[in-house]
Amino acid sequence: MKYIGKGIPGKNNQILTAGKGTFVGDITLPGMCHLAVVRSPYAHARIKSIDTSAAEQVPGVITTITGEEIVRNTKPIPTHSSALGEKKFQFYALAIGKARYVGEPVAAVVAEDRFTAKRGAELINVIYEDLPPVVDAEKALEAGSALVVDEWGDNILSSRIEVHGDPDARIKAAAGTVRGDVRTQRYTGCSIEPRGYIASYDRYRAKLTLWASTQSPHSLRLFLSETLGLRESQIQVIEPHVGGAFGLKLPTFPEEPLICYLAIKLERPVRWIEERTENLLAGGHAREMRLAFEAGYEKDGRVTALKVRLLADVGAPSALCGWGMANVAAFLIPAVYKIPDVKVERITVVTNKCPWNAYRAYGKEASMLMLERMMDMVAERTGMDRAEVRLRNFIQPNEFPYKQVSGASLDSGNYQRVLASALEAADWSGFPALQASAKKRGELIGIGLAYELTPEGGCIPKSSLLSAYDGTRVQVSPKGEVTIMTGVTSPGCGNETGIAQIVADELGVSPDIITVVQGDTDTCPFGLGNSSSRSVIFGGSAAKLAAGELRDKMSRVAARMLEVSPEDLELDGGKIVVKGAPSRSVSFADVASTIYRDAFTLAACDEEPGLDTTRYFRHGNFDAMNKQPDPEGRLNFYSTWPNGATIAVVRVDIETGMVTVLRLLSVHDAGVLINPMLVNANLHGAFAQSLGGALFENLVYDEAGQLQTASFMDYTMPTAVDLPNFETKHEETPSPFNPLGAKGAGESGISGPMAAVAGAIDDALRQAGLSVHVMEMPLTPNRVWKYIVAAKNAQRGNPQ
Amino acid sequence: MKTPVEVTVNKKKYKVEVDTRMILADMLREELRLTGTHIGCGTGNCGACTVVLNGETVKSCCIIAADANGQEITTIEGLSSSATELHPIQQAFVENQGLQCGYCTPGMVLSTLQLLKDNPNPTEDEIRHGISGNLCRCTGYQFIVQSIQDAAKRLSNGGQPGASQ
Repeated sequence: MKYIGKGIPGKNNQILTAGKGTFVGDITLPGMCHLAVVRSPYAHARIKSIDTSAAEQVPGVITTITGEEIVRNTKPIPTHSSALGEKKFQFYALAIGKARYVGEPVAAVVAEDRFTAKRGAELINVIYEDLPPVVDAEKALEAGSALVVDEWGDNILSSRIEVHGDPDARIKAAAGTVRGDVRTQRYTGCSIEPRGYIASYDRYRAKLTLWASTQSPHSLRLFLSETLGLRESQIQVIEPHVGGAFGLKLPTFPEEPLICYLAIKLERPVRWIEERTENLLAGGHAREMRLAFEAGYEKDGRVTALKVRLLADVGAPSALCGWGMANVAAFLIPAVYKIPDVKVERITVVTNKCPWNAYRAYGKEASMLMLERMMDMVAERTGMDRAEVRLRNFIQPNEFPYKQVSGASLDSGNYQRVLASALEAADWSGFPALQASAKKRGELIGIGLAYELTPEGGCIPKSSLLSAYDGTRVQVSPKGEVTIMTGVTSPGCGNETGIAQIVADELGVSPDIITVVQGDTDTCPFGLGNSSSRSVIFGGSAAKLAAGELRDKMSRVAARMLEVSPEDLELDGGKIVVKGAPSRSVSFADVASTIYRDAFTLAACDEEPGLDTTRYFRHGNFDAMNKQPDPEGRLNFYSTWPNGATIAVVRVDIETGMVTVLRLLSVHDAGVLINPMLVNANLHGAFAQSLGGALFENLVYDEAGQLQTASFMDYTMPTAVDLPNFETKHEETPSPFNPLGAKGAGESGISGPMAAVAGAIDDALRQAGLSVHVMEMPLTPNRVWKYIVAAKNAQRGNPQ
Repeated sequence: MKTPVEVTVNKKKYKVEVDTRMILADMLREELRLTGTHIGCGTGNCGACTVVLNGETVKSCCIIAADANGQEITTIEGLSSSATELHPIQQAFVENQGLQCGYCTPGMVLSTLQLLKDNPNPTEDEIRHGISGNLCRCTGYQFIVQSIQDAAKRLSNGGQPGASQ
């Protein structure tokens, strides 16, 4: 019986459905006190003075803290990699000198209960000198703009120009050109569980324990160790159940060292559970990018040259890894297309808004949207079918592994097959007839197509957060019970179940008897946690290696017990069986028992006692490039390259601009699927977040840098009624670079739907004789209505 | 200021003293240690704190704990006695993967309880409306909708999986 490829429900489903999960907020410790954070009410302000005396007089307030104490007693919070060339900044748990966004932690209060802590926080008197805020990335680049970081001299965190070939000359020589200005709005992941931490310090053992709603406990331990000046062995980070993360719970937030410092200082457990408004103000934002493009194409639909200026507004500088999303957006161009001459200018700008943190799809969505809008426009200009134009530009199946002009090393794929499968499933060619009959009914419907490339297993040099390896330990106990301890974690995505399936197949046991332990730095091997769909491809591959060693050892012992050769044995159904002679077998448990309890018997005496192996898996696809940048200084940032075609059908109400998604279909290639049910579950969630970003969600700042959407009253995410039933199909081109052939499926489904919906809106409006190319997200009724009005006005002014 | 509150939760009587500012969700979680009721927004939008109050679902973040005095409440803990003896709705969620991180799940399950009480055979559209007060960020709702369809069958079939499964 094989478990890989089976749709098995999540191992944690029972406990979570019973309401018996353990999230950080569910934990109480004896003597626990509560933290409240004083946050800057200004986007940009100099901190003149802080008076904590009134707060300290409130009965029940235990202590207060300001940046002055933090800077005296802690080291700066490190960033995850020193190899990315950004301007440097000293990050602390509390603002020092200046506050740089509304919601930035400025001071804090610890009290016996939450109400008292909040009362104390209200009484902390901070005198600010209000400074002009930088809230617009274009204006941030103007000479004379206020500076987010005075010492930098400008507001550019980093910038880079990549040129391959001569795109200017090619564009001039091209049969035609298309231009556009794609804008993705600022929005974020908003897991339903906000952030939360409990820190506890045992002075006698000099040991700090932090329960954290985090994705990466070992990385967080390392960062805390550096910030707090403790040895790593003095810190235990525990990730209990996490109520969604989507990248936004990657370290290091200021509150993480802050609460640890306070727990050590007070020698009492301290808890902080983020409120939703705090989460929206300071829990990490994403996406705000502008991609102005110009492309040259030939009459046969081939795009030969592309120039892109990418401007990213990453908010205030921070120790979080989010601003790297702009780098990835630039790196991915031109993705699945063979465009020989490409120039990408990336400018990453800081502003007085919430810092970016990683958010699912990590910048890939922005360049995909731009490329797909470009392809739709080329199709329109050449009069070709939108699918045909893409086919003419795709990398061919026989060209993998394929080195992109950006340095990207694409492992595997068959874009032609995936696209053909999607077109067939959606009845692409039959749509115009549906469209015509809808029009007769007075309904405007449109169809859109997008191809997404969603590379996974991110890997950055010198990084303590993103690298293409992980470790897994597999143990078999004397009774034959199997325990997996792994450095990858699962904030709700299901990899614990997938990894159990992988080990089950190696050892021939049911995943039900396998216990998976994750998210504890004292128990699990060092690993980099969960992000970039890395858990199955790295943690799962390491599990396969470790379990494989145990399988071989158990086979050797079983072979002696059965007096056959190990090659004649297979592990299945909890037994080790002679192939072709099912009556001759020993049970898995008997072999384990022999190894532990009869270590000196003939069957086991040549083997090292114990059944306990830790293996690290290093992913392929980097050898040539990641160790040493190529002569042009280019790196490959990703291990595997999942991809997929998305087709959306929408209805547009031309009077109101209201868009309704009627159909969303995706054919996806994540390589070998370990658990198709959980892959689909992840895809569905991604589709929902993608449509949320395409149609509803928006973090809106006013000119003073005040967030206008700081609760779920204003920050509107899709509910069940806003979404269609999704259709998914899978194609499989295994990754040649890991033993599973899996490519990851955690971020796929974010990029495709938003681009397909954009194309579908254009298509629907074409039925009304309007030429529209929607470029600016989100496509709320208001914005779509404006596009409609502008197109109508253009038509009147220009009757051709 | 503290005030006494007497409530019946999951058929058990409790007598507690709570801060007058405390919301019902916090009372359940902090005072009664029934932590299956989750808090996601504090503004009544996400539904993670959904409980049954006198037979109707409410968002317990929008009710002052003191106002629950003398009332009868069912929380997620009242639906099952152990993780292996789940309510048919919970079992349907488990088997149909109607959850991922599990944070919104208790609220979803209780909204489903209400939905299927009011309408034992809902259409897909009615199901989607029935849970539109509960936000889920992981699943895209599809497997939740399937779970509820399965739960409806189980409930009309004495708790057993529906014949068409």
